[in-house]
Amino acid sequence: MTHALGSRSLDSFRDPVPQVADPQRQSNDKQISGDSAQISHTGEVIESSTAQLVAESVRLHGAPAFGQFVRIETEPMPILGVVHNAQTQSLEANRRPSAYGKSEEELRLEQPQIFELLRTHFDVFVLGYLDGAYPVLAYPPQPARIHSFVYLCDAPQVEAVTANDQLLRSLLDAPGLPTDELLLATLCYALEARDPAHQQAYVLRTGKELSRLLRDDYDRLSAIVRRLKERQSTQVEQTQVAR
Amino acid sequence: MLDLTAVKGQVDAMVAAQVDAPAQFEQRLNHAVDLLLEWGQAGRWQELQQMTQSARVSWLLAEFYGPFAEVIDAPTRESKLSVAATDGSQIFPDRHEISPCFLLNIGYVLLHYGSGERALLSSRPQLFWREHELYQEWGGRRTGISRDVVGFRRALLELTELAELAAASQRAGHSTLAINDGTLIMWSLEGRPPEFRDDCLRQIRSALDLLADRRIPLAGYISRPGGSDLVNALRIAMCPMSMTNCDRCPGLQAGPEAPEPSSESPPIIERPCDSLQGISDAVLLRRVLQPGQRSAVFGSGSRILDDYGPHGVHFFYLHVGKEVARVEIPTYVAADSQLLDRVHAGVLDQAQKGDGYPVSLAEAHERAVVRGADREAFYRYLEEMFVRHDVRARVSLKGLRKRAAAI
Repeated sequence: MTHALGSRSLDSFRDPVPQVADPQRQSNDKQISGDSAQISHTGEVIESSTAQLVAESVRLHGAPAFGQFVRIETEPMPILGVVHNAQTQSLEANRRPSAYGKSEEELRLEQPQIFELLRTHFDVFVLGYLDGAYPVLAYPPQPARIHSFVYLCDAPQVEAVTANDQLLRSLLDAPGLPTDELLLATLCYALEARDPAHQQAYVLRTGKELSRLLRDDYDRLSAIVRRLKERQSTQVEQTQVAR
Repeated sequence: MLDLTAVKGQVDAMVAAQVDAPAQFEQRLNHAVDLLLEWGQAGRWQELQQMTQSARVSWLLAEFYGPFAEVIDAPTRESKLSVAATDGSQIFPDRHEISPCFLLNIGYVLLHYGSGERALLSSRPQLFWREHELYQEWGGRRTGISRDVVGFRRALLELTELAELAAASQRAGHSTLAINDGTLIMWSLEGRPPEFRDDCLRQIRSALDLLADRRIPLAGYISRPGGSDLVNALRIAMCPMSMTNCDRCPGLQAGPEAPEPSSESPPIIERPCDSLQGISDAVLLRRVLQPGQRSAVFGSGSRILDDYGPHGVHFFYLHVGKEVARVEIPTYVAADSQLLDRVHAGVLDQAQKGDGYPVSLAEAHERAVVRGADREAFYRYLEEMFVRHDVRARVSLKGLRKRAAAI
């Protein structure tokens, strides 16, 4: 052993890349595990194919929200996708979580190992890729590489991805996804990325495009439009309350 | 392949022989409890202590420091406590494999209670492949490293790394308890070549020095302990000789027929104290301790401890709810009531949290364990790297045969 007896730091016993156990505890973690507060990516790809990928969340319970747009930094070009599922489970296949009958706070104080044995994963549906700064909504030539980092898209990227009806087509054609839920959720993020002055116009245009794409399925279209209206009115109310 | 039909007859015979054992055992156990309560009380224990000190016996005898029948209730655990534990696992050297190297994997666990701080769970593998690591020369004889030597290296590494982890935790401001998986008494070093033995003992001593120096309590946790140091001492209490000397045992000298046959004693008993044979300390104390309570602290008479320098090893038994476990502690813990209480409360809490077995040790095991599939993957990777870099290597025919047993 090269160290003088009893001189090693706690960090020398840690595994190199720990998942941050709780987003709220970053400041607490900083003292013990160094650079966790500097982590800017939200996940890391652990399964990858042309149309779908699975990422491990950097933080336990810290997956991007359902319908959020993400960018995967990979070769030959960054890939764009939308989160359509997240799950938290045991890290080891042969160990299942079981009920303790205690609150999460009590568990953190008296059974702290639990939170190191759980991982949050999220599924991403691939929408396209970035050609320079320009988003192309078509399958990328190569799938994302395993261990690539996943970042949340910034507002201009979200605006660009949602600029035309190709996104709606991709989502409506995607097999095995909760399409209608995803349409509504992505629309919220598309609006959030836009200037309030342009939001109404965007909703109108999206409505028109949807009615064109779903012209054979009136019931489905009207259900989506009704839910869209409900959501918009709650959003408006919330904004008013906030003001 | 095991032929169950062939072994069936032998199993039946074994079961038949044990059918009426429980009733006899119960009687003997009651007798042991009576002896414990009689001799272990204040004012009486010194007498037995003197008798054990002058006895000439071949078994390990517990040493007493007080009325040893006493039971001690669990103190409350400090609200903030950090528990450090390690465990190790290995890939043994296999001369039928591509390389005779071996691997030790140490699992580390540091759990902080009462503060909400993140737990540390990790593992570090170490590969041993250099000539001096794979071959040993003792007394002029050079041999390949054996499985039991790998076992020693592993046990040593578990202890030294535990000391380091606990010291690092304490230095970071946590009040820490270190729990070792299994005994602190490396009795199997007795009879080993002196150089090897000295090297091992030097490492044990420095780990214990470090922990004692930082005043970090250490506990060796033994689940389902088979030890009978205390019961052995009670055998002395039963001995009809004024000064026990097993070589002159009246029971043995008179022959099996000589002792008065009584209705209680089964005919196989030869020595007067044989009725206590087969009773372990844990079985005895299960009758005496309530959940959470510990026994008195005893001293171990293991001869290897003569070479532990200033550190002796003491032990007590602890009723953790589902079993009575043996907890071994170094002298500096036994002599410091605050540290002793921290061990008692901390180990009990660990076992309760882990459903009968300390949660830190269970997690350390999970970190350390190298399963069969991991071992296979390790050798296949090794093989691939050897081939890729044109290193000449051969798997033995036996090894090859094991991998693909043709019909």
